[in-house]
Amino acid sequence: MSKDISRYQRQYLFPKIGEERQRKISSSKVTLIGCGALGTVIANTLVRCGVENLTIVDRDFVELNNLQRQVLFNEEDVENNLPKAIAAKQKLEKINSQANIEAIVADANYSNIENLVKGRDLVLDGTDNFDVRYTINEACVKHNIPWIYGGCVGDQGLTMVVIPKKTPCLSCYFQSAPPPELTPTCDTAGILSPIVNIVSSLQSMEAIKILSGQIEQTTEGLYSYNVWEKRSQVFGTKQEIDPECPVCQKEKFEYLSGDKGMRTSTLCGRNAVQISRDDQLKIDFKIIAEKLEHIGKVTSNAFLLKCDFNESGKDYELTLFLDGRAIIKGTNDISRAKSIYSKYISV
Amino acid sequence: MSVTYLDNAATSFPKPARVYERMEKFLREEAANPGRSGHRMSVEAEASVESARALIAKFIGAQDASRIAFALNCTDALNMGMKGILKKGDHVITSVLEHNSVLRPLHSLEEDGVITLTKVKPNKDCVINPEDIGKAFTHKTRLVALTHASNVTGTLQPICEIGKIVRERGALFLVDGAQTIGVFPIDVETDFIDLLAFPGHKSLLGPTGTGGLYVGKRVEEITPWREGGTGMGSENPTHPEDFPFVLEGGTPNTVGIVGLAEGLKFVYDTGIDVIRDHEFKLMKQLREGLKSIKGVKTFGLDSVKQSTATLSFVLEGLDPADVGIILDQSFNLALRSGIHCAPLCHEFLGTFPTGTIRVSPGFFNSEKDIESLLNALRQLTKQE
Repeated sequence: MSKDISRYQRQYLFPKIGEERQRKISSSKVTLIGCGALGTVIANTLVRCGVENLTIVDRDFVELNNLQRQVLFNEEDVENNLPKAIAAKQKLEKINSQANIEAIVADANYSNIENLVKGRDLVLDGTDNFDVRYTINEACVKHNIPWIYGGCVGDQGLTMVVIPKKTPCLSCYFQSAPPPELTPTCDTAGILSPIVNIVSSLQSMEAIKILSGQIEQTTEGLYSYNVWEKRSQVFGTKQEIDPECPVCQKEKFEYLSGDKGMRTSTLCGRNAVQISRDDQLKIDFKIIAEKLEHIGKVTSNAFLLKCDFNESGKDYELTLFLDGRAIIKGTNDISRAKSIYSKYISV
Repeated sequence: MSVTYLDNAATSFPKPARVYERMEKFLREEAANPGRSGHRMSVEAEASVESARALIAKFIGAQDASRIAFALNCTDALNMGMKGILKKGDHVITSVLEHNSVLRPLHSLEEDGVITLTKVKPNKDCVINPEDIGKAFTHKTRLVALTHASNVTGTLQPICEIGKIVRERGALFLVDGAQTIGVFPIDVETDFIDLLAFPGHKSLLGPTGTGGLYVGKRVEEITPWREGGTGMGSENPTHPEDFPFVLEGGTPNTVGIVGLAEGLKFVYDTGIDVIRDHEFKLMKQLREGLKSIKGVKTFGLDSVKQSTATLSFVLEGLDPADVGIILDQSFNLALRSGIHCAPLCHEFLGTFPTGTIRVSPGFFNSEKDIESLLNALRQLTKQE
């Protein structure tokens, strides 16, 4: 039985879409990893415009400070302490009852990522850290699935389409994640909501091209935009695949195998989680202290930096060591701890 | 810069070179399934396992090697022993010094209503008074399960005196030899031990995945918690009751067992006294060095010779978890911090839940390693 696509008429009226391509969009399967600022706009746009099979993966819960930019959530979700994936599903089903929304409340990592992306037509990045992005990149390259990177902080945004083997992958551009001192996060440097809307709209546009069967129409290179200055820049072209790229050329999947990436363990009896990284950092506590100053009370010595802070009514203590290792006290939930680490230290 | 490993109470590292070499040779040239098939390789593999068993029997003074069953580790052996012999209504005596490998099986048997349990406290130096064990007896006491030395403080326990009392009172005595086997002599006959659980990967210097349970003649019946193929009596529908097969269902960890035997041969060839004296020397240096560092508090009996090469301490004002990471990260020292799987011991010491920092050098550590640790602690305590 042919699906009723009449509700999307204003979209397929546009000549580059048309009815046939609209049907293609509606029958496609998409995974969205991360449903925060970028993710909610992407999900909102795509479900409204006819993506009827969407899997949303997110480990976090809705917080009051999310409402400034995360368009699918409201105060009730905060009061009900709803997981973002669930809150998003509830809203999206009201927006489009034809859509099949699968909400997965989980930390996307090397152990589950392949199941989350396999068989999908497209994967969208709504995450907030490079650890997951490298994992998505490897999984999508391995299974030959296009994915769209997006990231923003402050007034800056970045986005890029990755079509495995045809365009550069994330590792072609960035061999490794930048160190925490050079990586501001929304929670340490702030975020202007217009940049969120711009980057996620660009991601959504590229998604529509791919899902409607026009992958060749996707734009080239890594697109950077500064919303305050209304200034854009494009780095690279589709052709600039790094011939030495360990991921898309040599198929060495170190994040997928678990050899690279964040490692976590709970501390016995402590309500605390230890996070370790595979990269050997030498962190400058001074810069990190400046980043964290407005989050909470920061103290440091030659060996460690401590930050006591409160988030959504809960007290946490983050202890950061010189090599980027950390102990997060106040939770024994590994997803929560990883989320805190990504938000305040970044990976 | 290479890591200085001071966590031998968790597992010994490195192993003697001959252990690696023996295991590689076995895996490459000899690793048939022992006793399952009649061919020469199978017979030879079985002979390797049996000679390992005989070597261990000799080492612990067991008269019948067949009463030693190989296990996955000491936890496996303890479970085998306790769950294999305890029956509904039995009373068990243990101590608050125990590792979770003793406590958790007993707690679950208690929760299930199978046993009643008494946990004896040691004196302030972490030594159990044998008389307190005697006092804890009831007419239903079937088993006394105790560690030979605390894995937190290293304090040795008077197992021989306790064993004598347990024997006189007609109960069974199970000793957890995790921290002592390979360094301190254990004789199942003269120490009155009925069940001895031990790991292969600590001071016996074998690989992980090895361990064993000695079951003395006073244990008349033991129920296996793992049944299956044994390579003998295959025509019977049920698992054999003969030792060691009763406890050894499934293909054993042959490569691990030959590695364990090679580790034990190293102990024999080097001399258990030589190993122990080396560790004593390091611990003397450590204990003396710690005394001159401000803000250090150590736990357990302050005696080199009445302890294993394991020592727990805290630094005033510093979280042991932080200290552990700093020592690893800034000084390349691998030590364990936390509660060391012995929560009741930390409650007794007043260090729950933050725990302690545990130093445990081994035979392959040097005085230079201890000095590195002391230096690191001096630097650390100068901070703020």
